Amino acid sequence: MTTATVTAPQSARAGDIDLLFLATALLATGVLIALVLLDHQPASAALIAGGFGLGVAFMWAEFSFTASWRRFLTRGDAGGLLGGLIVIAVAAVAIVPVAALVPKFGGAIAPLGPSLVVGAFTFGVGMQLANGCGSGTLYTAGGGSGRMLIALLFFIIGSVFGSLSLPAFLDLGGIDPVLASKYFGPWGGLTVTLASIVLAAAIVIAVARKRGGSIVPRTGMIIGGIAIGLLCIAVFAAGGHPWSVTFGFTVWGAKAATALGFDLSHATFWTWPGPKHALEGSILSDTSSLTDFGMIFGAMAAAAASRPFARTAWPPAKSLLATAVGGLLMGWGARLGFGCNIGAFVGGVSSGSLHGWIWFLAALPGCLIGIRLRPLFGLSKD
Amino acid sequence: MRLTYMVVIVLALAAVVFDHLSSPSSGRAVSPEDFIGACAPCGAPCPSAK
Repeated sequence: MTTATVTAPQSARAGDIDLLFLATALLATGVLIALVLLDHQPASAALIAGGFGLGVAFMWAEFSFTASWRRFLTRGDAGGLLGGLIVIAVAAVAIVPVAALVPKFGGAIAPLGPSLVVGAFTFGVGMQLANGCGSGTLYTAGGGSGRMLIALLFFIIGSVFGSLSLPAFLDLGGIDPVLASKYFGPWGGLTVTLASIVLAAAIVIAVARKRGGSIVPRTGMIIGGIAIGLLCIAVFAAGGHPWSVTFGFTVWGAKAATALGFDLSHATFWTWPGPKHALEGSILSDTSSLTDFGMIFGAMAAAAASRPFARTAWPPAKSLLATAVGGLLMGWGARLGFGCNIGAFVGGVSSGSLHGWIWFLAALPGCLIGIRLRPLFGLSKD
Repeated sequence: MRLTYMVVIVLALAAVVFDHLSSPSSGRAVSPEDFIGACAPCGAPCPSAK
């Protein structure tokens, strides 16, 4: 699983339910939904609800990209990685054709170049040090892991630095997004996308067999993968774009920096129309922030419904240092790499965008480096 | 840790509510990709636009 301090909900006994935090999670979600409904934004309410569902699903399935990738790299176990591919395959069935055929819907695309590769590699290092990726940080922080609360804080800080670095990296060059549906049409693009996922799964299975690792995902991973894939489609339907996580972190950090007196409005990144609008507008007008909030409170509700919430002790200082460093690297890397496991990998591949696979291939070696660095902070390589 | 959590939740929720009430609303939630010229989820421009 993603961290050692969060465990998935098991069959709850009445005495195990943490009513205080369960009520807090439900109340906070209710407040956010009420605020957007008062603004006549039902789609925003749907995004919060979708995020809430994702938080519950991730928590229930103990869905973790970070641990899955680590187990594949260290032991050759492919089950978790294949669970991630299930999510992508399910989401792609709707996202590729709808993004190509229906106006106002679009896939997750991104340019190919040094920024993407450097960002994804850096993110890979960070996710192994922090012990959680974008979605993992959200749901474990929401689920009661104080360690991942620290990761989230430094993720946010790192992503603001990333927003300041991105324009310089884009100046290094690159090519425009490569989208399967653009070359093969909506249904041909879907076929190519699903074929690429099958090919990736075949390679992963072949590597696992050669290394003597397991190739069968846990039942929870399969059910959770399908549920998360369907929720990805729901978020896509409500927001018009695939689910993304980390842009919200960047906006939160930039708004906090602005409140502290830093003027980011002249930084190149924040002069682009999208980021400029997000910085100036309500935080509840940003789609990724809405699903992020929903996911945090969904995970909190799921955790509090099954056991006393956040009762574990704080981890050792070295572990917290790894978390902080990992969070910074993930934040910076996510901005340069156009997202995390969700926005870039899941969103990109399920949109039929080549950048998703490039992100994955660049993040894996970063994970290897991160795994080798873990013992320096008192963390195991497993 | 529970106290830390509760403080963080209350402060964060207060900040979100304050930000929402003090900022202009766009009428609907948007992503940076919704804006013309966006080439990535963060709204970065395409290399060919440079």
